[in-house]
Parts: sequence; structure tokens; C-alpha cells
Amino acid sequence: MNMRLPTLVAALLALPAAAAMAETTLVMPQQDEPRTLSPAPSSDTGGHGPTSNIYSHLVVMDWGIVEGVAAYGDLAESWDVSDDGLTYTFHLHPDAKWHDGEPVTSEDVKFTYDRIMEKGYTFSSFLRDVDSIETPDDQTVVITLTKPNMAFLPMMAQGAQWTGKIYPEHLWADEDGFDTGPYVNEPVGSGPYKFVRWDKGSAVVLEANEDYFRGPPEVDTLIFRTIPDANVARAEFEAGQFPYLPFNYAPPWAEAPIFEEAPEINVVYTPSHFSRDLQLNLNHEALGNPKVREAIAYAMDREAMNRIAFNNSWTPGYYAGVSSQQKWINEEARFPEHDKEKAEALLDEAGFPRGEDGWRFKVSVTGPNISDCSAITEILVRQLRDVGIEAELARFDQSTWFSRIQEKQFDISCYFGRYGPDPDAYREHFSTDGARNFMSYSDPELDELAAEANTITDEEKRKEMYGRIQEIIVRDMPYINVFEEQKMSLVRPGWTGFAVMPDGFNTSISWFGTYAVKPPAE
Amino acid sequence: MRLPQYFLFRLLQMIPIALFIVVINFALIHIAPGDVSILLAGEGADPAYMQSVREAYGLDRPLYQQLGAYLGQVLQGDLGLSFRTREPVIDIIAERIPATLLLAGTSLVLASVAGVVIGALVARRPGSAMDTAVTTLSISLFSIPVFWLGLMLILLFAVTLRWLPSSGMMSIAGPREGIGHVLDIARHMVLPVVALSAVWLGQYVRLSRASVSETLAEPYVTTARAIGYPERRVMSRFALRNAMLPIVTVLGLELGMLLSGAVLTETVFSWPGLGRLIYEAILSRDTPVIMGAFLIMSFTVMLAALLTDLLYAALDPRVSL
Repeated sequence: MNMRLPTLVAALLALPAAAAMAETTLVMPQQDEPRTLSPAPSSDTGGHGPTSNIYSHLVVMDWGIVEGVAAYGDLAESWDVSDDGLTYTFHLHPDAKWHDGEPVTSEDVKFTYDRIMEKGYTFSSFLRDVDSIETPDDQTVVITLTKPNMAFLPMMAQGAQWTGKIYPEHLWADEDGFDTGPYVNEPVGSGPYKFVRWDKGSAVVLEANEDYFRGPPEVDTLIFRTIPDANVARAEFEAGQFPYLPFNYAPPWAEAPIFEEAPEINVVYTPSHFSRDLQLNLNHEALGNPKVREAIAYAMDREAMNRIAFNNSWTPGYYAGVSSQQKWINEEARFPEHDKEKAEALLDEAGFPRGEDGWRFKVSVTGPNISDCSAITEILVRQLRDVGIEAELARFDQSTWFSRIQEKQFDISCYFGRYGPDPDAYREHFSTDGARNFMSYSDPELDELAAEANTITDEEKRKEMYGRIQEIIVRDMPYINVFEEQKMSLVRPGWTGFAVMPDGFNTSISWFGTYAVKPPAE
Repeated sequence: MRLPQYFLFRLLQMIPIALFIVVINFALIHIAPGDVSILLAGEGADPAYMQSVREAYGLDRPLYQQLGAYLGQVLQGDLGLSFRTREPVIDIIAERIPATLLLAGTSLVLASVAGVVIGALVARRPGSAMDTAVTTLSISLFSIPVFWLGLMLILLFAVTLRWLPSSGMMSIAGPREGIGHVLDIARHMVLPVVALSAVWLGQYVRLSRASVSETLAEPYVTTARAIGYPERRVMSRFALRNAMLPIVTVLGLELGMLLSGAVLTETVFSWPGLGRLIYEAILSRDTPVIMGAFLIMSFTVMLAALLTDLLYAALDPRVSL
């Protein structure tokens, strides 16, 4: 046995990693294992990658959002909106086929949306205003709304990335829901890749769909590999195991200069329609006072945060909006810049002078479990303590944090505010019954404006109304914008067309799409 | 008590213990805030949808009713359906057990056998340079965090030298059957097994060294040497056999942990085992999977304890069952 051991080891080491493949294989690392491969029943961070490449959408959004585009057609080649904003007529791509060869028809779209609404799956919240879905012919879908809703199409396009993909009626009609039956984990879609195999705990393997209606993708085999540990994913990227390291694995921002200097790595920065901001709980004894909130805005030093945490590469957010949604920003409504004396004076004025121990009042600062929010809150705590606010950091896992802010068990929380794809997002964040209004903020004028602005087709008039809404928010400061979100991804030179890169806009087909990816030329 | 009776008694004893464990787990999971509806609803987080999820999964009912329903199910051998995937929990767990057994089992055998042999060898010359070196090394190994060791192994052997694959259990495009498949898994096993067994190894070396050097000082060993037994016989028949008891105790404890002890290693090496399943289930509040996995783990702990007691009796004639 002793004699044989070295031979065995040598044999193991010599075995090639994989049989040489003439075809192009793209491995996409992802942190979570998919729960299922059926996208409708639940939001599933591990499933979005595979399902977005297997299934098609009616309309969809990709990173072109940063250029201000709210929706792209996918199965829908084009669409018309009636003048009253109530009727949407979608014209489907005539060549679209399911992976089993059957044609994709308007009936499939109607079947999918009807079932989503009937079951109350998460995408149904985007279809809330739908009155009826009709299919005058195989290539036409007519959706009628009960009331005008300017956010309908953009929000549907955004939601489609996660849970709004189109299912084949001929395979699912007899199933009780989209979570039962043989096609849950062996999906048949109409997207650029076909399902091959799912090795549970390891990887989902897809192959190019040669009959895809936009033409076959350049990559032949697409593999989504589960790598839970970010350090391991980075090490493997550096070892050349895959050409693209998505932003959720990205190294700390402070290390960005190292990667920028490395010739074998391209650093891709992508802005988004999200911000990083602070939500202030207005039920808190001190935070309920508008002067205290203003003082916090003065106490905060975004430039210092940017220098310490983000290598000066983030854009400080002084408006109640983000640059990618520039056309909606009201530049008159601006959050104050750093001024420590002003902050202290305001706090004194508000009736919170420094006590004998030097502290004015206590707040707890929390945030979602994402690295940029962790950095922001860590620095914020120091800056608040500098003006006499006894701030302390409180950290939770993601779901605990989320249930706490929903139950309003927080003082100050870092948050990812959204401003697009349609400014109706303001209603979701700031109207009294808004789903993302964790601050207990309520202003009757804003409620009325936000409800009305969503039904108005005249863009100039809408712009004016959202401008006024921003004035109200900056006046009351239930939240304070801190930064515009920026993503950092790493790409091997020669590879192009990843969703975060400009040459992937409009052709990626969703944030998770890889249709536009091209390998380096031979 | 006779052996079959004892065996039966111990097995029956497991049932109330398991039920007790179920109740404790259930209470602990429900103390934690948040439930699965938040994670399933995701970015829309529509309150109406969250409510419908809670109703569909019975989460809107009072806790005692939920517990009662679950206990009733478990007594019929049904661990329920996963909240996340709607698949039977028993299938999900069964699918992951072989990978974990392969990784943790190999590491445990390797660590315990090598650890006992090395420990026994250095115990013969306490205080020697060899002894000091081995003792220091084993303390270091014992105190290294396994995720760090794993990462370093990956950086050295997978990234820098490129001798071995960095993570996963098999090559995605590799062979699926025959000797090629076995060799492929073996290659993927090297680094995680080294990382996991290195940590356990330190423990066994120290344990075996202490235990063997203690028995070597016993009068009966001196007697055996005086009689003129060859040293090899003295070691194996008198010293090692008596030194085995504490080692068996620790081995038994770790055997029980076999299914759960590799969470960090499995995460670092992307190993598709039970530890990672539990980790994912906890993060997403997939209560049926967590409960099912804990239940199965508690059975392995109890079985390992039983096995240890039986081994005691075999090793030490003074112990009767």
C-alpha cells in the first residue's frame, strides 16, 4: 500500500479538470442555491439566474435602466397604449417557440397572468389594476386597466425579472399551481437557454437554445454554480475559473484601486435606480422632532464616508432622487451639506442639550446585511456621536432586520430607496399607507399628489407634481438620502455583454440575463 | 440486564427524548423573529400575499396548534413539506446525507486513526523534541478556524499551484459513472477532507498522547515489560487497549456530530451536504427542514451514544450493561 500511494496521488493530480471542450462554456457563480426552478410562486435569489435565462417575459427591464429606459420588449415586439392610459395592446414576436417546439401564443400570456392573479403570487401586486386580459389573435394581448396607472408597464417590466415570467399553457394547464408537477424543477421555457440538469447543492446546467427567436446565444453551455463563500468565489475568479464576478461577491470598495491596476481584470461600475439612505422612525422621542432630523442631516458627512468606505467612487446623494432618474429630479429640493456647528445648534434648539455626560439622547442605528450599508452605518454612528447623539450599532440577519423595520422596531436604519423605473416609487415610500413607508411618515398633501400623479399621462405635469413631492420630503426629512447606489463587478478582458456592461443593455433580457454575453475572439 | 433487553430499552428511550427535542426546537425557532412569508414575498412584499402564504402554511394558527399538528405528523413518520421548495423534507435531507457522510466520515476515520497512532508514538518518549513538535503542532491545528484553513488550502493548491479543484463535489462537465467519476470526486474531496481532519487530528493526537503516556506509567505495563513481552505487544495489548476508553468517548461524541459538524467546511468548499442545507434553511426560516434535520441529527447523537456504551462493554470487562 505504501508503494502505491504516491502513484495514486500522481494519478489524481494528473487527471484533467474536465474533458477539453471545444464549445464555449460560461460559469456564473451565485451565492444561493435555487429553491425551485419555477419563478412565479416565490421570490428566490438563487433561482433568478437560471429562470431568467430559461423563461421569457412579456416585457422586461435590464441595466439599461441606468440610461433611463423603463421597459424593454421581450416576447412583446411592440405595444400601443390608448390615449386614456387604460388599454395596453402588446404585439408578440411571431417566431417565439417553447423549448418543446410548440409556438408561444397570446393564450400563454393570458393563462400565466390569470393564474398569477388567481393564486395571489407576488407578481399579482403588479397586476392589481388589471380589469381584463384578452387575446384577439395568437400574436396580440390586450390588457385593460380599471384606472390609469403610469407605473403599470415599468413596474411590470421590473417585477418580471423576479417572478413574472411566461409559462407554457399546454404543459401547466392541468397543474393546480406553478408549484406542483414535473415542470417545477425541469422547466420548459421559451428563453435563450434550455434546461439540462440540476445537481442539487452544486449547479444548474443549461444549453443554448438553437431555435431562440432572436437567434442562438454565443455561449453553448451556461452553468450557474452555487458558491456560498464570497472569498472562495473571489479566489476562483482570480484563478480564472470563471470570467465574471457579480457585484454581490465584489471585494470591499477600498480594494478597488488594486483591481483597477490589474491588467487581467476589468472593473465595471454600474449605477442603479436605488439609493442608500437613512430611514428615521418618527415614533422615536427625539426623531419625531423635525429639527432633530435636520440636525442629523447636517451632522452627516457624506464626503468622509465616501473617502473612508468607497474609495471616493460613490456619488453622494443630496437630492431626493438618483442620477439615473435625472429627468424626475427637482434640484431645488436639496438635503443640507455637512455642518457640525449647525447640527449642534439645531439639537440645542430642539430641546436636546448635551447632558452632564455629554450625551443628548440615544439612538440605535441598524441596516440590512449588505456591505455598503454596514460601512455607512459604522461611520454614521461616529459622526452622530461627534455631535452628542449617543448612537449605537445594532446588527441583524437580513430577515430579522426586515421584520423589525416592518414592525417599526428601529430608530435609524440604512435602506435601499428606489426611485425608478417610474417615479410612482415616491408613493410607495412616502405616502401614509405606502408599502415601503417604515418611518410612519404622513403628509396629506403628499398623499394626494402621489395618488394623482400616478394617473396623469402628461409628463410635464407629472414632473411638476413629483417636484413638489420632493420639496415636501426634503422639508420634513422622514428620510435622508446618503448615496446613489453603485455596483462593482469584475470581468475578464475580452468577455463582453454581461448585463452590467453598457453593451449588454437592451440585449441581456433582464438583470440576470446572459443572452448578450460574448466570449473573447479566438 | 441482558444485551437484547438493554438494547430495546435504550431504543425505546429515544422516543420521549426525540419528542422533547422536537418541542424545544419548535419553541426556539418560533422565538426568532420573522417568518418564511417575508422571504417568499421578496421585493414586492405585498402584505396580502404574505398573509396568504401564512395561511397556506398554517402559520396564522396559534403556536400550540401548529406544534400539535407537527407532532401528529412526525409520529406517523411524516416530516412535512419544505416551505421553500414544497418537496418532502425527508427526500431533501436524504439527498444531502451521502455527501456529508462521505466528507465527514472520511475525515473522522482519517483524523482518529492517524491521531491515535501519532499520539501513541510520541507518548513513548515524552519530552523529546519530536513530542514537543507534535504537541505544538496539534495545538495549532486544533485552534485554527476551519474556514480560514480551508481558504488557505484553496489559495495554495487550487489558485496558486492549480493541482486540485477549489470547490464543489464533482466537475460539472466531468464523467458521471465508472472510475472517472470516482477519481473526480476523490480529487474534489482532498482539500475539504484535509481541512476538516486537520482540525480533528490535533484533538486526537493530544488525547491519545495523554492517555497512552498515563497507561504506560501503570504498574501492569512495567510488569509486562519485566516479563519480557516485546515492546510492540506491550503497546498494542496493554497500553493502547486501556488507553482507548477516553478516545472512544470522544469518538462517540463526534460520531454523533457527523451530520452537523461540517457546516463551515461545506460552506467554504461549496460541498452539497446537510450542513449547508441546514444553514440555508435557517436563513430562510424553512421550519420543516430545520426541524426535520435536527430530529435526524438528534437520532444520530443518541445512536452514537448507544454505540459508545456498547463499545465500552467490549473494551472494558469491568463495564457491564
